Amino acid sequence: MSFDGYKATVKEGDTVVLYLTISQVYSIKAQEKTINKKGIEVESVFQTPYGALKCAELVGKTYGSKVSLSKGWGYILQPTPELWTLTLSHRTQIIYTPDISMIIFQLELCPGSIVVESGTGSGSLSHAFIRAVKPHGHLYTFDFHEVRSEIARQEFDDHGLGQYVTVCHKDVCENGFGENLNGIVDAVFLDLPHPWLAVPHAVKALKESGGRICSFSPCIEQVQKTCLELTRLGFQEIQTMEVLQTQYNVQTKHIPVKDLDFLKMAKSENKSDGAEKKESEVAKFLTAIPPMQQPGHTGYLTFASLYPIWSRKLGISIDENETD
Amino acid sequence: MEIESNEFEIKAGDFAIVQRQGYTKLHKLKPHGNMLIGKFNVEMDNVIGQRYFDTFQMKNSPENKKMFILEKVEDSTNATDALNIEKSGTDNRNITSQGDTQSLTKEDIDKLQDSELNSNAIIYELVNNSKTFNMKTGYSQEKYIRKKEKKYFEYLQLRKPTIRLLTNMFYRQDPVKTLGIRIDDLSQILTYANIHSEGNHLLYDSGTSGLMMAAIMNAIGARTSGTLIHMHPGNQCQKNAFVAMQFPEEQKVRCLNVNLYSVIRCFYQDTAKEENYEPTRKRQKTEDPSSASTTKVEEEAPKQPQWQLENEKACRILKTKCDSLVVTSKEHPVNLVKELLPFLNGGRQLVVFSLTREPLQDLFLYLKSRLDIVAIKLSNNFMRYYQVLPERTHPEVNMNSGGFILSAVKLNC
Repeated sequence: MSFDGYKATVKEGDTVVLYLTISQVYSIKAQEKTINKKGIEVESVFQTPYGALKCAELVGKTYGSKVSLSKGWGYILQPTPELWTLTLSHRTQIIYTPDISMIIFQLELCPGSIVVESGTGSGSLSHAFIRAVKPHGHLYTFDFHEVRSEIARQEFDDHGLGQYVTVCHKDVCENGFGENLNGIVDAVFLDLPHPWLAVPHAVKALKESGGRICSFSPCIEQVQKTCLELTRLGFQEIQTMEVLQTQYNVQTKHIPVKDLDFLKMAKSENKSDGAEKKESEVAKFLTAIPPMQQPGHTGYLTFASLYPIWSRKLGISIDENETD
Repeated sequence: MEIESNEFEIKAGDFAIVQRQGYTKLHKLKPHGNMLIGKFNVEMDNVIGQRYFDTFQMKNSPENKKMFILEKVEDSTNATDALNIEKSGTDNRNITSQGDTQSLTKEDIDKLQDSELNSNAIIYELVNNSKTFNMKTGYSQEKYIRKKEKKYFEYLQLRKPTIRLLTNMFYRQDPVKTLGIRIDDLSQILTYANIHSEGNHLLYDSGTSGLMMAAIMNAIGARTSGTLIHMHPGNQCQKNAFVAMQFPEEQKVRCLNVNLYSVIRCFYQDTAKEENYEPTRKRQKTEDPSSASTTKVEEEAPKQPQWQLENEKACRILKTKCDSLVVTSKEHPVNLVKELLPFLNGGRQLVVFSLTREPLQDLFLYLKSRLDIVAIKLSNNFMRYYQVLPERTHPEVNMNSGGFILSAVKLNC
């Protein structure tokens, strides 16, 4: 229940983020018992590279405090959507924070917004959507995979977010988002293999006063088809972009400096030759080093606006898109 | 769902984003007022009472040749459709650049424009007087028309300001005025700082034209419990973007604008002594505003001035500590973060933005040396736009580079 609002201490059943190092971050449940693979209830113990942690010991601890492990220590943090994205169990390919940030921003979400997401996937983006629209907004999230849908529903309840989200098991490309959502939605997000099939349904769901849409697609062919459909249905401000993040490691570097001046003079002329050679200089500088390898592609983000109903019929496009 | 009719009505006093092709401009509407857009001086009277997203056509004013009036458009068609291109070439082998391809002179075009601003008519004349137009390929003809259409485009639209529109507008006009914060930067500052409807958030901002405070208040939202303490270095904070958002009063008052020096002084020194202080007025270059405000303070002597009330309110929140810390400063961030970190709760996020990397490298090392900071990350983004058209999809020719973001988590120890 630890996702809704700021919390000071860990309660029984909370999802807690265990931070060991920048690349060793885990989410665990603060509870005494767990069900093992054989279906038997056992004591919940989390194994870390620095030793075991009894999950029940977390209850009552302050978020942001240190916990001892048998061979070291770690810190416990209250989960945020960003930390959750780093630690959740992947049931599908997930969307990461740089893309999530852009999606939330471009969809112009704020508390009170009604947003539709398809598909739910592993719920990485859903958590960020819920944070952006609560307390009086709502997320309707759809997935055509029944089990995935069910796990997501349980997870939202478990995280104390159930009241802000409705999880539906449905193929939206075939069946749409449902009558109950007609004309009440502020923003639609599509992460589907055939997003263009869902665009007409999005038009129905969006408010008469208009709204925003986003489609996330890894392949450019999907983007092309989606853009054609968006244009056909009167969307404006159609814009495709990609965002890639580089994380740097800050280090102080030392590099040797060669001084070749002494070579210009004969050895005999240079009396203190030996001494100077020893003083081979070192330059010291602070720098930020990117990783050896990093993702060079996640997905293309296509955004568009549906204008209010009174300005949809016009053929004039007051758009900012240029062609080159 | 019914649309409340007055929610979208354009009223005098509104801040609107005026959009003409790719160009956008923030404009405060008066009952009778003019607006300069590009080289056109436009009388804005006719938009009052109409709706946002309505399209208006600029027409030559009957009374004044130099002025344009706006007329609401009910329906229209695209310039390309109307033009009816007869012939296109297959490639550019016969097109040479000689500078005499257009037989209309600038004077001719000006004359056309003065008689009636009609992009279709002007483009029609341009096309008819172009020697190479019919040799151009279909794609290139379309591009030519779009380019000219942009120049002589006579339609505009009014939009309600949103954070997205404002961020793009500021960035296009002059990135320096918002410290170079690009949309990807702003979007990530908000997520990494975990800004949402609850909690007390702390921002130090010294130069984003109010964009940071507007974006955070927008994320905090209307009818919620969150508050923002916005610390700024001057007498008055920059708030162009904040004012443009026209938040409801209830939401506006949850943003406390306090002077950095005076609120920190108020926090650490006895408030009783505070009475004789003015917030850093001595730092002002000119005498006038400082003396003017002094007299104002004296006049209201029995009543506490607004800035002092806000200071005290902010100090009460700072004593209970905040749930996020965002720093977007012109100044070097290390000292600022050092002073502001005591106001951040344990287990909460800190985000610092800088257009250049070096100050954040220093901050990275400083934070690393502290035992109560973990998960320190320094990052920047590669962001680019794509042109998506049938058979002509490629990245946009121009791109820019954003800034750097440092995020970290403060511990409770």
